[in-house]
Amino acid sequence: MTRFAERSGKVLVLGIGNEILTDDGIGVRLVDDLKDKGFPPEVVFEKGTVGGLEILEFIQGYQEVLFLDAIKTTDGKAGDVYHMDLSDFLETLHLSNLHDVSFIQAIRLGKELGFDLPARLRIFAVEIVEDRVFSRNFTCEIEKQYPRILKEAEHFIRSRTKQYMLENSPG
Amino acid sequence: MSKITIDPITRLEGHGKIEIFLTPDGGVENVYFQVPELRGFEKFCEGRPVEELPSIVTKICGVCPGCHHMASGKAVDAVFGLTPPPTALKLRELFYMAHFVHSHIAHFYALAAPDFVVGPTANPAERNILGVIAKVGLEIGGEVIKQRRIAQEIQALIGGHQTHVVMNTPGGVKKGINEEQRDDIVKKAEGFIEFSKFSIQLFKDVVLGNTEYVDLILKGPYALKLHSMGLVDDQNKVNFYDGKVRVVDTEGKELFKYSPNEYTDFVEERVEPWSYLKFPYLKKIGWKGFVEGQDSGVYQATPLSRLNAADGMATPVAQKEYDAMFAILGGKPVHATLAMHWARLVELIYSAERCLELAQDPDITGTELRAPIGKIVGEGVGIVEAQRGTLTHHYWTDEKGMVKKVNLIVGTTNNHAAICMSLKKAAQGLIKKDTEITEGTLNMIEMAFRAYDPCFSCATHSLPGQMRMELILKDLEGNIIRKIKRR
Repeated sequence: MTRFAERSGKVLVLGIGNEILTDDGIGVRLVDDLKDKGFPPEVVFEKGTVGGLEILEFIQGYQEVLFLDAIKTTDGKAGDVYHMDLSDFLETLHLSNLHDVSFIQAIRLGKELGFDLPARLRIFAVEIVEDRVFSRNFTCEIEKQYPRILKEAEHFIRSRTKQYMLENSPG
Repeated sequence: MSKITIDPITRLEGHGKIEIFLTPDGGVENVYFQVPELRGFEKFCEGRPVEELPSIVTKICGVCPGCHHMASGKAVDAVFGLTPPPTALKLRELFYMAHFVHSHIAHFYALAAPDFVVGPTANPAERNILGVIAKVGLEIGGEVIKQRRIAQEIQALIGGHQTHVVMNTPGGVKKGINEEQRDDIVKKAEGFIEFSKFSIQLFKDVVLGNTEYVDLILKGPYALKLHSMGLVDDQNKVNFYDGKVRVVDTEGKELFKYSPNEYTDFVEERVEPWSYLKFPYLKKIGWKGFVEGQDSGVYQATPLSRLNAADGMATPVAQKEYDAMFAILGGKPVHATLAMHWARLVELIYSAERCLELAQDPDITGTELRAPIGKIVGEGVGIVEAQRGTLTHHYWTDEKGMVKKVNLIVGTTNNHAAICMSLKKAAQGLIKKDTEITEGTLNMIEMAFRAYDPCFSCATHSLPGQMRMELILKDLEGNIIRKIKRR
């Protein structure tokens, strides 16, 4: 985890999931495949399985956080991508750690406690097929669509970063 | 005909479904608790070098990865026929105490306190950690976050990573700590002790100071008379990392005490057609069904069971609190399910005190970190106490140490039968003919099993935060009576 002192003015891209649980680890793999694609130094890539109160430790001090996570919805189609922020938050697979507090509760708690929380939190969630079988490989449905998902994730991060730079450029 | 569903059960790790079958006159006939299965873990492990397992198992559960890492490390030691040197053992235990501090603080403030500090039937929008902090003050909220973080820092320092721990290696640990790091841990452990004392005082003020809550603990539909299991040291004191498994009966008399490698002589797992998760029971007594009492084969392995199964705590303040708890609750053993919260706080103090003891131990900065590799034995069992109960890892390998077979009995699985029984008892006590079933009623049923701090991620070999829970009320023909969604 990047030290608090080094987070100011930066964007965190946080891939979450379990890389040995079939499609569950898509957020982690996206980070692995994106981190060396020449993003500006203001973009920090991290990965982990976090939720609940622990999420506060990960996101404190950053200007903006982009989560890459897996999601399973009732009528979702494998490989569909959802863009969400707190206002239309649907719980993704890892942000809602039910052993702990919910994502929303954690953020509200952080605000109550006066933590230096990011001005923006955005979620890039991929509809997956299988997260109940141990395997290092994606299902065929996700594997087939992965190149497109990777491109979409890259585009998402670049457009968010560009927006962030514009908003924070001097003058 | 209709049915009730609560989706999800709040503050529960994992996903599952509780089905309550009602009699025609509105009473409770039966309760079924189900969790979905996560498949293929054993297969995933087969054919891998056994020394890889301690790092792999941290990925089967994001809630108690340190517990799996420790049980796995011990099983791997046994496969290689090795005993780690004192420094390695103490470093493992020091890491583990920080893991307990972190987990028990989270459970008390995020999962248990909302029911007591805010109230079991309070508005669910307020019955959470934010509601707790609104009552006890922002400063305490900050302290909860801070102490958890500090415990995580200790785990990251010793374990190599706070979640995906990598410290254990056959016969020892991969790295030690220096004097400066030790001094830092000493200061942090002193902070844990103060915060633990504060937390148990808060429990006494809020819970014991309220006769309604005391009645709920002692007279509510939450007592379950079962045998108690826990790991003990050679003085029969509670130990989380090492020792023998002791089982005491419903009256507190020792039934068995066995070494980890003897567990198959004492524990057997039963399969029920309606559940993915197995039901362990005491083999020498046998499976007598989901029944309470001295003749039952069902046992509990919880914080309260650990205290019931032991003769005391190995640290002074925890011992004082142990004595106080049993004195107030009428002596050992205690069978009040909600008293698990109190027992968990006694354990929190023990973990904090033991953390300090170990950090101050001269051996802790030693440099002999692992035993030389010997001949592969080919089979090994590792048992530790996870926060949620006794955790067993059992591995078989070939002569080159490649995994042939794996068996895990995780903390929550030990309590599976007891959880089902607790739910049924709570439902029967709370839902009667003409009872208006409110959200508060359903929360009070949830409280029966939230006390166990159940984590079905690894019980079904799954992950945190993925699973949801439904509570469904049905008539005896299986028709749903009512559905309440809660988010």
